Amino acid sequence: MNGTRSPWLLGAARLELGGLSLDAEFRFSDPRVAVVGPSGSGKSTLLRIVAGLESRAIGELEVDGERWLNGGGPSIPPWHRRVGWVPQHDQLFPHLTVRENLAFSSPAPPAVEEMAKDLGLAGLLERRPRKLSGGERQRVALGRALLSRPRVLLLDEPFSALDRSGRAEVVGRLSAWLDTHDVRLVLVSHDERDVEALCPERWELSGGTMTRLTGAA
Amino acid sequence: MPLFQRACPRRAGSVAPAGSRGARKLVVSARPLSALVVPALLASALLVPGPGHRLVGQEDGGDPSRPLVVYSAASLSTTLPAYGRAWSERRDLEVRYSFDSSSRAARQIAAGAPADLFISADRAWVDWLRAELGLESPGRSLLGNRLVLIAGSSGPERGGFEEAAAGGLGPLLLAGENVPAGRYSDAALSAMDAELGTSAGDRIRGGSVRTVVEGVASGAAPVGLVYATDVRARADLRVLDTVPASFHPPIEYVGLVLRPDAPDASVAEAFLGALPTSGVFTEAGFTPAPGIGGAPAARSGGAAVPPPPLPDPVSAVWLSVMVAVAATLAGLPLAVFLGWVLARKEFAGRTLLSTLVLVPLVLPPVVTGFLLLEVLSPRTPLGRLLDAAGLPIPFTILGAVLAALVVGMPLYVSAIRGAFASVDPHLEEMALTLGDRPRQAFWRVTLPLAAPGIAAGAILAFARALGEFGATVVLAGNMEGETRTIALAVYTLLEAPGGRQAIWTLVGASVLLSAGALLGYEILTRRQRARAEWVR
Repeated sequence: MNGTRSPWLLGAARLELGGLSLDAEFRFSDPRVAVVGPSGSGKSTLLRIVAGLESRAIGELEVDGERWLNGGGPSIPPWHRRVGWVPQHDQLFPHLTVRENLAFSSPAPPAVEEMAKDLGLAGLLERRPRKLSGGERQRVALGRALLSRPRVLLLDEPFSALDRSGRAEVVGRLSAWLDTHDVRLVLVSHDERDVEALCPERWELSGGTMTRLTGAA
Repeated sequence: MPLFQRACPRRAGSVAPAGSRGARKLVVSARPLSALVVPALLASALLVPGPGHRLVGQEDGGDPSRPLVVYSAASLSTTLPAYGRAWSERRDLEVRYSFDSSSRAARQIAAGAPADLFISADRAWVDWLRAELGLESPGRSLLGNRLVLIAGSSGPERGGFEEAAAGGLGPLLLAGENVPAGRYSDAALSAMDAELGTSAGDRIRGGSVRTVVEGVASGAAPVGLVYATDVRARADLRVLDTVPASFHPPIEYVGLVLRPDAPDASVAEAFLGALPTSGVFTEAGFTPAPGIGGAPAARSGGAAVPPPPLPDPVSAVWLSVMVAVAATLAGLPLAVFLGWVLARKEFAGRTLLSTLVLVPLVLPPVVTGFLLLEVLSPRTPLGRLLDAAGLPIPFTILGAVLAALVVGMPLYVSAIRGAFASVDPHLEEMALTLGDRPRQAFWRVTLPLAAPGIAAGAILAFARALGEFGATVVLAGNMEGETRTIALAVYTLLEAPGGRQAIWTLVGASVLLSAGALLGYEILTRRQRARAEWVR
């Protein structure tokens, strides 16, 4: 992709939280970025910081020119950030049906139907999450995030429970969806193929340091 | 029965039926706590046993060194030992005493307490005990007493019984209807009401005679009716008037020999025989027995005061359920709030709050009730405020609800706290990223997920409220239809002769309700666990 565009996400050195300590600047330029790295290096925490869920995080975070985190000062709360977060454990609401989960952020009902169809969930809309397989639940979680009109998608190992063919299908759907929506993506994944299929720009998080692997300089 | 119950016309806004006395009762102060805390059956059983311990009716070899055991009404607790010392001096004989209310003493004797003599001013209990033990003798009439109108230092300077009955001296404090002094007072007041052709002035009901004495002495009520002998040595109380004896059945202390066939029954007879002529009692203010000195007591019936009315089990069960439901519902918002705060929030003083919430769990409920009464009584600014707002708490059904609520709160909060703790906080975070504000996330995610556990907590609190006794009796008193819940009704029935059937009705209802509630709790807890677990 275009390597000269200006960065949309700027992270500063003092992003610190418990075991995680980022001491390097990082700037995501491509709209689709993957973060890889060894387990426990803080990839998930990084996504949570971007989502605004780590209230103890201090540092600088700028997304599309908006200060989401400003030193120790006030930060933009999660409900104003419009991130589509798909955590490692899908975190479906167990008391709600698939339809209610998808519609949690109040999208238009036809959009829910369409998303369900796209993700192969059309027959499951009235089920509760406990009656779903792991792969089905990941599809619901992804659909719920896409339906929330996000500006930034934060996907944390979102395909881990899908089998090979399901994975390819969902990745393809997601890629097509991204092509038609003005949405940034930060993907955390262990799977090389997913990363390659989706993200031109790649960073490695290791030992608290973000290193650019590929993509625009 | 502990407390003063005010038998007065309803407050402004509600109208008592014309001519009815005591349509509503409002109680003002408490009897000494110890009387409630100590399980009386145990306590006085411990007073007596000695080398001569043996069951009533047991075959006896006539051991001369065996002590004479006397169970007596508490109103003789100072005079009887003095008399006994003098009487036993010339004999090589020890006399032991157990002083308690007639009701408890009689029940203990019937249950096998090793007593030789029962002395009581309560004809109903004497007759009950005679029937239980199959005794022919009606008992010996020993002493008489009089009712007097007393005032404390802040009370009126002078006044008569007639004026007091009409309410002209301010609220009149009476002993409870379950003790003889209270029923003699009732009889006297009814007679006076009939004579005056009016219905009652303001009347407050206490528990024992002692609570009346102390209540008037402390100024809780300006005037009261007690036995003449109760105020003999009290400098802080003035006797304003003596109630004419014609206004009530004769007050009569009856002595009952409990083992008339035992070889040493003559010793017990001799103890009773010399009692009416002893100077100890005359000095203390007792009058000669209504039947002349030592004559057989009149058979029960017309002459004696009627036995107290028995609590109505249906009303008690209904009231218990109402109070428990009200306490559960009223406590719900607070319990949910506290449970959530303790499960989810980190703040300074969290441990302190958590401890405070649990305090009523370990505090004796009587103590909880006492503290609530101290805070909410009309003597305090808060109490006055509530009174002015038309929400008097002490000795009303509101008090019963509050007592049940406070005592049940630890279980309530703990269960709900557990329910909230079992909700995965990541789900709440998910809701936030989907655009919910924290409050919306609470209503849409946290609360529904904790709902089974909250319901379980509510059921637990309901069950605890059903069984509440100690705090209720102190804060709310024991008034039929207003605060006499199942536990209080059983307690009251134990103090009245008869009523076995009613007791069993209450016991059955109590067991069924509690078991049902706990079953519901179990089911809901299971559901909460299932709901919380599969998420991981």
